[in-house]
Amino acid sequence: MKTLVLGVGNPILQDDGVGIHVINTLREHLKDTRVIVDIAYTGGMNLLDMIRGFDKVILVDAIKQENSKTGEVKRFPLDEAPAVHSSNPHDVSLSEALHLAKQLGEKNLPKEIVVIGIIVKNTLDFGEHLSTEVASAVPNAVTMVLAELKNT
Amino acid sequence: MRTITIDPITRLEGHGKISIFLDEAGDVENAYLQIPELRGFEKFSEGRRAEDMPQITSRICGVCPVAHHIAAAKALDAAFHVDPPMAAKKLRELLYCGYIIYDHILHFYFLGGPDFVVGPEAPASKRNILGVIEKAGLDVAKDVIKHRAYGQKITAILGGKATHPVCGLPGGVSKGLVKEEATDIKNMVSSCNTFAKFTLQLFDDIVLKNKAYVDLIRSDPFILKTYNMGLVDKHNKVNFYDGMIRVSDQEANEVEKFESKDYTTHIAERVEEWSYMKFPYLKSIGWQGLQDGKKSGIYRVGPLGRLNAAEGMATPQAEKEYTRMFDILEGKPVNSTLAFHWARLIELLYATERAKELIEDSDITSTHIRNPVGTPGAGIGVVEAARGTLIHDYKLDKNGLVEKANLIVATTNNAGAITMSVRDAAKGVIQKGNVNDELLNKVEMAFRAYDPCFGCATHTLPGGMPLTVNIYDHNKNLSKTIIRS
Repeated sequence: MKTLVLGVGNPILQDDGVGIHVINTLREHLKDTRVIVDIAYTGGMNLLDMIRGFDKVILVDAIKQENSKTGEVKRFPLDEAPAVHSSNPHDVSLSEALHLAKQLGEKNLPKEIVVIGIIVKNTLDFGEHLSTEVASAVPNAVTMVLAELKNT
Repeated sequence: MRTITIDPITRLEGHGKISIFLDEAGDVENAYLQIPELRGFEKFSEGRRAEDMPQITSRICGVCPVAHHIAAAKALDAAFHVDPPMAAKKLRELLYCGYIIYDHILHFYFLGGPDFVVGPEAPASKRNILGVIEKAGLDVAKDVIKHRAYGQKITAILGGKATHPVCGLPGGVSKGLVKEEATDIKNMVSSCNTFAKFTLQLFDDIVLKNKAYVDLIRSDPFILKTYNMGLVDKHNKVNFYDGMIRVSDQEANEVEKFESKDYTTHIAERVEEWSYMKFPYLKSIGWQGLQDGKKSGIYRVGPLGRLNAAEGMATPQAEKEYTRMFDILEGKPVNSTLAFHWARLIELLYATERAKELIEDSDITSTHIRNPVGTPGAGIGVVEAARGTLIHDYKLDKNGLVEKANLIVATTNNAGAITMSVRDAAKGVIQKGNVNDELLNKVEMAFRAYDPCFGCATHTLPGGMPLTVNIYDHNKNLSKTIIRS
């Protein structure tokens, strides 16, 4: 079983880059060398290129959701994703890209894509640091990724 | 007064919001585009090492990292008083062609094209790449995916990394090309050229042979008579990587032509209190508010702006298509906003031809790809991003750290024109308060033609991006909401 953990986000837009921060911490804790860990500053079609050939993909991404608490970490299958990086304004969303790939008869698509999403606040100001609430969510997100890997 | 708010715009940008203000009679009084812009870049850059700027700025945008990367590298060439070797310039330009190839393919088939290929009257749920597949067939879709990936692969080979290049340095590039890579690129470029020609033929068959579409292109609400701007080579032909900035007027006469470094002498930025955006305009003409015509300094950039501002294309196949576009749309400049789509495809063809010239150039595998830098100072780098003229302007201190950084991105250059196009499209389709889903499609079409990129690094969007229209009565009470998912 080939598994990919992919952190998505923009590392210079504060909370937007939380997925990258989670991956950096995860690398320190992850013993299993068979799991591939990577980061992506991009969306849609490019993400599709990155996840081809894996059986399972765990996306770690920033989420903006109304009525949710900043710093909350949520797990859900990609099909139920409320708001993730995989929808880039100049690209199709990852879900749309996957739909397209399936329609074209691509066979090497992941069987399962899970999102570990962190509810974020500030993504409009340049900066490399996370807000306090989001920074304190990073260990939670790492634990959830590790748990997800254990169940894989 | 009633207010109609279109928010957000499907397939484009979660943060963009169009507000349409109606008068008592229910006609459009005005329309504004409101977008939260990314903040604090100048401060963020302060004190950073100059050589990090190509990497940092390429993170601004997940879509056009190459444009920022190369603009930054060029600004650093100037700031460090160094002229890169010929081979380095050609490698950068080839990288750039790869970017134009994937970006223009993506826009035509995924983002802007569906409006035409599937049709402006089609429901929003059909106006996407899946709708295009339904109409054009699975084989075309496979070709779209393949050639977009080729463009990406070319940039990855030259840039040293997928999507975000790391090759640009002051004085040249860090990575040359070996023969095997060159052969690989050559094959991909040749395939992309065939695909570009196919795409123009598809545009011909689906759009130009349909009188309703041609009428729509020519219709009044989509006409905007602004100045046009773009980089040109020494023969006044379109160039993405380098050259002089040329501005032409409403009769296609050259009104200004200047070096990138002199941009502040020619361009000023207007601040309007209702928007975060700045509105650039030509200093020599002046600011007359949001209006077109000779007296207003507003100009357009991007595919149509470039083709209008230049005197032709530097490669034979694209030149033929260039002439044909102006013949069919009866004269130059072409002022129809929807012609941006056509211009984009002509540029796609040019990028494939230019890439072929570059990859066949004996310099391209040279190992002399960087010159030593001089002392740090100030520098300006300008390129033509897929969406239009992109300006990076840096001031460095004596240690080579950034003291000041200013960027004018393509969409900012187009800000005035986009706002006017939205307003005019709204005026054309909304009368006596009659607003429906199909009418609003056309407002979006006007907007989308520019391929605008607002706060483009922020990708945390609502997944489905539904379109919500709020209509307020003259007391600003919400009277009706239309939601399109």
